[in-house]
Amino acid sequence: MLVEQDVIERARAGDGGAFNDMVLAYRKRIMGTISRLIGRPEDVEDVAQEVFVRLYYSLDQLRTPEVFEPWLYRLTVNAAYDYLRRVKRRNESRMADLSEQQVLMADFLASGRRDGDDRQKGQVREFVDALFQHVSDEDRLLLTLKEVEGLSLKELEKIYRVNENALKVRLFRARQRVLKAHKTATADGNL
Amino acid sequence: MNSDSKLDELFQAYRAACPEVEPSANFMPEIWRRIESRHTFWFVFQKLARTTVTACAAVCLLLVFLNFMPPFENRLVQAPNYTDALMAEHNAESTDFTENIRSATNDEGAPAANNR
Repeated sequence: MLVEQDVIERARAGDGGAFNDMVLAYRKRIMGTISRLIGRPEDVEDVAQEVFVRLYYSLDQLRTPEVFEPWLYRLTVNAAYDYLRRVKRRNESRMADLSEQQVLMADFLASGRRDGDDRQKGQVREFVDALFQHVSDEDRLLLTLKEVEGLSLKELEKIYRVNENALKVRLFRARQRVLKAHKTATADGNL
Repeated sequence: MNSDSKLDELFQAYRAACPEVEPSANFMPEIWRRIESRHTFWFVFQKLARTTVTACAAVCLLLVFLNFMPPFENRLVQAPNYTDALMAEHNAESTDFTENIRSATNDEGAPAANNR
């Protein structure tokens, strides 16, 4: 753990200084995870702040300091999930107002603004984002935590509080869907 | 290279493509601002919820109390009405009258008893 159990206990008791220490210790790690979960660097800070606000209000529900990290990850996953749903709703309403031609033009202009490495990274993010459209938001997060973030099944079990076998089944199905979409996309020459 | 390993590579490329975002200077103050604003809302919400719960509890107690009280109509039936009161009065009068006759008879027969 990045902070002593004593700091967590003090933060639970309402010590603002201890809560500050916790945020300072975990914010980089949480922001990195959120960045990979949502794939949009411009909104990472906003989602991370939401995670820590939720942490502040749910610290009294934390049973023991030992389970703090899975707890924090669960809050992170939930905040990322809420963000993805919000963005999906917003995009659906925006896209509904645009014709297909306008959407293509907007994509072209957006990609034209980037250059070099940034552009390539942006393309990778967009491509993976497009692949993730073939699975639900829940499965997207689970798959990202396992495949991109590199969490073990044991760690995922603690975060999701779900049986390891159930997680394996969900991961397998989600991966198969993404794989199918990946095959289709590469066959069409998108990558 | 099979599709599975290609996908794994893509995930690794995605990990590298997601930049490590540095927190801005406003990160902590913004968190505390959000906590404060939500705290105010939470305070009002808690107060409202507490008032509602108290009012509900009071109504429940009142309903329980009314439920265990005998119904009002039964009490009316049990209560003496005007005719009952008249009947009771009449019985009392006739009882007094009878008592008077009896006592008068006893008074008349008293000497005889004394004579024995």
